[in-house]
Amino acid sequence: MKRQTSYCDKKNRRDAITIGAAGAFGSWLTLPGILEQQAIAKEEGKASRDVALIIVFLQGGISTIDTWDMKPDAPAEFRGEFDPINTNVPGTQLCEHLPRVAQQSDKFSLVRSFGHRNSGHGPADHYMLTGYHPAAGFNASLKPNNQRPAHGAVIAKQLGPRDSVPPYVCLPKMQNSAGSSFLGSAYAPFVVDADPNSPNFSVPDLAPPFKVTASRLENRQKLRERIDRFHKTAEAQANRRANALSTFQEKAIDLMTSPTTKAAFDIQQESEAMRKKYGRSSLGQSCLMARRLIEAGVRCVLIDHTNWDTHYNNFNVLKNDLLPHLDAAMSTLFHDLHDRGMLESTFVLLTGEFGRTPRINKDAGRDHWGPSTAIALGGGGIVGGRVIGASNERAEKPATTPYGPEDLAATIYHSMGIDPKTEFRTPEGRPIPIVDGHGRVIDGLF
Amino acid sequence: MKRTAQLSLRVSTVAITVMWVGHAWAVPTVSAITVETSQVILDGRDASWQILVNGTTADGRTLDVTHKAAFRSNEPGVAHVQETGVVEAMTDGHTTVEVVVDDQRVVVSVEVTSASERRSLNFENDIVPILSKFGCNSSGCHGKAEGQNGFKLSVFGFDPTADFQALAMEGRGRRVFPAAASRSLLLQKVSGAMPHGGGVRIEADRPEYRILHDWIASGLPLGDKSDPRVSSIEMTPRERTMAIGTNQQLRVVATFTDGRRTDVTRLVDFQSNNDALVAVDDAGFLTVGTSPGSAAVMATYLGNVDVFRIAIPRDEKIEDYPEVAEHNFIDRLVHHRLRQLNIVPAKPASDADFLRRVYLDLIGTLPTTDEAREFLSNSRSDRREQLVTHLLERREYADYWALKWSDLLRVNRRELGHKGAYEYYHWIRDSFGANKPIDQFAKEVIAAEGPLNESPAGHFYKAVKQPNQMASTVSQVFLGVRIECAQCHHHPWDRWSQSDYFGMQAYFTQFNLKQSPRGEAILSSANRKTTHPRTGGEIFAHALGTTSPDASPDGNRRHLLADWITSPDNPWFARNIANRLWAHLMGRGLVEPVDDFRLTNPPTNPELLDALAEYLVDSDYDMHQLIRLITSSQTYQRSTNVNDSNHDDQQNYSRFVFKQLEAEVLLDAVCQTTGIGEKFRGVPEGSRAIQLWDSEVPHYFLKLFGRPVRVTACECERVGEPTVSQVLHVLNSPKIHKKLSHEGGRIAKLVQVYADDKDLIEELYLAFVNRFPTDQETEVTIGYLADQPDRRQAAEDIAWSMMNSLEFLFNH
Repeated sequence: MKRQTSYCDKKNRRDAITIGAAGAFGSWLTLPGILEQQAIAKEEGKASRDVALIIVFLQGGISTIDTWDMKPDAPAEFRGEFDPINTNVPGTQLCEHLPRVAQQSDKFSLVRSFGHRNSGHGPADHYMLTGYHPAAGFNASLKPNNQRPAHGAVIAKQLGPRDSVPPYVCLPKMQNSAGSSFLGSAYAPFVVDADPNSPNFSVPDLAPPFKVTASRLENRQKLRERIDRFHKTAEAQANRRANALSTFQEKAIDLMTSPTTKAAFDIQQESEAMRKKYGRSSLGQSCLMARRLIEAGVRCVLIDHTNWDTHYNNFNVLKNDLLPHLDAAMSTLFHDLHDRGMLESTFVLLTGEFGRTPRINKDAGRDHWGPSTAIALGGGGIVGGRVIGASNERAEKPATTPYGPEDLAATIYHSMGIDPKTEFRTPEGRPIPIVDGHGRVIDGLF
Repeated sequence: MKRTAQLSLRVSTVAITVMWVGHAWAVPTVSAITVETSQVILDGRDASWQILVNGTTADGRTLDVTHKAAFRSNEPGVAHVQETGVVEAMTDGHTTVEVVVDDQRVVVSVEVTSASERRSLNFENDIVPILSKFGCNSSGCHGKAEGQNGFKLSVFGFDPTADFQALAMEGRGRRVFPAAASRSLLLQKVSGAMPHGGGVRIEADRPEYRILHDWIASGLPLGDKSDPRVSSIEMTPRERTMAIGTNQQLRVVATFTDGRRTDVTRLVDFQSNNDALVAVDDAGFLTVGTSPGSAAVMATYLGNVDVFRIAIPRDEKIEDYPEVAEHNFIDRLVHHRLRQLNIVPAKPASDADFLRRVYLDLIGTLPTTDEAREFLSNSRSDRREQLVTHLLERREYADYWALKWSDLLRVNRRELGHKGAYEYYHWIRDSFGANKPIDQFAKEVIAAEGPLNESPAGHFYKAVKQPNQMASTVSQVFLGVRIECAQCHHHPWDRWSQSDYFGMQAYFTQFNLKQSPRGEAILSSANRKTTHPRTGGEIFAHALGTTSPDASPDGNRRHLLADWITSPDNPWFARNIANRLWAHLMGRGLVEPVDDFRLTNPPTNPELLDALAEYLVDSDYDMHQLIRLITSSQTYQRSTNVNDSNHDDQQNYSRFVFKQLEAEVLLDAVCQTTGIGEKFRGVPEGSRAIQLWDSEVPHYFLKLFGRPVRVTACECERVGEPTVSQVLHVLNSPKIHKKLSHEGGRIAKLVQVYADDKDLIEELYLAFVNRFPTDQETEVTIGYLADQPDRRQAAEDIAWSMMNSLEFLFNH
């Protein structure tokens, strides 16, 4: 007899999940155990789509009214300095400073009736990256500051790791709202605290120190196993954390020595031409790294790119600095994924935490504007080249059915085959759905 | 039909149990049976009663045989009895019900009265429980903040007035239709006659459907304010030892304010606190799993709770239970439980293990090689007690305990400012340095008054600023009780209502912070009203578990609260402090999580917790004494060894569990063993990590290893799970490599000083893992030294291996 007090759709609340028991990649299950876990997940409809997620987070808030939601007919003090150009999708126009993206417009879609109620950096970050508006007591400067798990953490938990790569990676630095909240450190992102564009890029601590040669490393590993009093003992196995740590040590060695993982993070393997196509910028190389990581089996890559907060000198900063980088990175990412046959199985989202004010300010800039922004998303089953919804004539607010971060969350999970009604429990036992309240899949994308 | 469904439930449960256990499970034959209440009185049309049948086996065990019994009513027209033993009223009269198990027979007399009278229904008593039981007001459906499809109920049914409004008045009156009750939207949807997002919830043939129907048809009575209300619920049984794979039928009886008692088993919400050990279904039928341990099943009903505690012994009875040494009452109580559970404890820990363990536990610092040598060569019989005494006097004791309490008391530099945080920290540190009685310590925080630079404990109120936060934090830290849930609605698993929550908040509404000639000062001159968020009425200060008064007590309320909290009669303070210390030393609290004391989360060994609390009170709240007591017990001094019977035990202290080192402690250990310290920003040279009073001193290692941010009072802030990045860091960090290979570091020095490999190895072992190497270990490591071309590098390799071992990274 099913519990009568189950969820609306008859799923048992208590199927959700004990927290923190399993490890980040490799739990304290053995590899067969992990495969079994994934098989079960697949059966329950969780991993049925095998889609990975890339979030290109344009931190600071990209000005969508100047990029992909332009208003050429609005008065001058709103429409700004840029002109729109045609794209390879008839009827859709983008900013003249994104010419390469314009030639890839058939690969992604835009939702122009998007918005939310928070125009503060910290809370808006959290809202966009978790689908939950932060509640009272939110402290944006915590690292991480999550009151709810970020999408990547949910995905890491629900879909589990693939091969020996971490399921959830954040680069080129930690994003404050990228954390796993009550899901625990097992689902926290693997943070690459280094700029893939820098000449001697390497993931911190992924390789042994310079002076430790490969043979010395091997000696050390063997020695460690011999002299660790608790290595593979019943005592260690009877203690969950010791067991987890021990498994992580094996996984860490895999990470360090696995050609796949080393290769995935070894951006130097890419040809100079390819690197140039993405653009030799932090954004460009992060996108390239994301593609490599997805290829290697990572489930979610969050790129945190700064700084789009153009309160001053908006147009020059965009024109000379930010948009050229975005143009190269975004166009190449979509093209590259498409070329490699990966687009169908990779959901790519590009967005800031909010849009920017329609009326240009006295510093030739635009300020924060939560109520209206436009998001770009493609792959993962999304039909490209569409424009969903519209904002009003001055991009002040949605003019058609409005969508918000909750809907974005539902859309992402739907694409990845994760039931948006899934619930977790906090350590206090409170049930928390992965999609807040009324979030629904955005109409017209799939 | 219903009966068949229930029969098939039982069969499938049995089948599952058989599968689980892997051996044929059969309830042993019973030589005698008894029934709970041999006289059943059913008053009213909807009355029912769950008969519980206990059987006694030949070897004297008592177990539940309710579902094994055959029930037969002698007059089914008067009272009908289900296969599960539920007796239902049909018409007025007397009859008997025969109960048969194997060849045992017992007769229950049944009297039915008022069966044809429709008792006037009361919305809160009769309808709200149905909305809860069948999930209508759950937080996933109509109970969530925004409701569902325009229909909103209060979650857990905490607001009956609003719920009545929603049902009877809103929805343009379509939800209920008294003239033709079964056409009401409410009934049509729940029974599946109309499409319903939540599916079929209450079939039309269920008694609950009939009650809803009658309520609508009788004109939606709200009930009278003078109607009797539920005052408590009682679960039967409340405590039992149950074997693996066995079952228990539970019964819950509600007592009303007029003395009436009703079986409400069908309507309560049952929940196990450990699904892996014990599962319970909606009808209160409980199944024990395959693992031994302690568990609790709680029942909640209209804001009342009760609990059933289960001890599940290991399957295999230990024939020759060995003699186990007992040093004090801790051991007696722990061993009693272990015997009950058929678990044999591990053997005692070696001196070396005790040495490292107690250093880390009491002062968060590893012993030096000299200290290790000294202790390990000490042959006095009281050397362990001596060591504890010595450690309690070390300056690091104050450092370490100040660190831990700074986490709880929120020494947050951002909130308090540099000077404030520093002074607050030093007050805490001085308190532990002087072994201030913990009741006095608590009082000084809660009742802090006057200028902050004279009462640094008052900085607590700059970190915790609002009366509601003050109430929650004080409760959580000093009582171990989490009341925040009750701020917005009934606490889901405890008996706290919003009135209780705001009653505590009202203790803090006199608080204000003002500038004075002597700097910022705490005064108690404010007098804000505390109002109930729903009713709007004023709530006066009253302590948890006491009745709401007509006026707040006179005087400085925080002082009164502090007195109540630290009174020897307070049910929580001493237990909370004892439990926190126990959790720190033993790796797991008797109540876990340590700040979540509630009726429905009982201690795994209540007698032990009571005894520890009593000991603390009797010793005038002397923390040193309690530490001495616990560390001198055999239970604390156990090894981590696993044997046949204790390898699954996580709760009962049959073996010592591995504990994770705090970030600061681990960093200091890395520095101490390598001989190269860290320089921290903003503190003098030579400061150690456990001395850092500012939890925001930037440091990658500390952040990586879970140093807390100190924005809540939760122990859980200190992230306790290992991560891959941590592992990678200790394996590969260039900074750690530098320490290992530093010219001025320990390895370099040792290699130079000790030409003899054996001596070198011994020094490394004493430094890193605080013990002498075994012969085998000596052989392996000396062999390694000999094989490698570079002796220094080889020594570094050995040190690195030790640092990356579980032995180093855990406290065991």
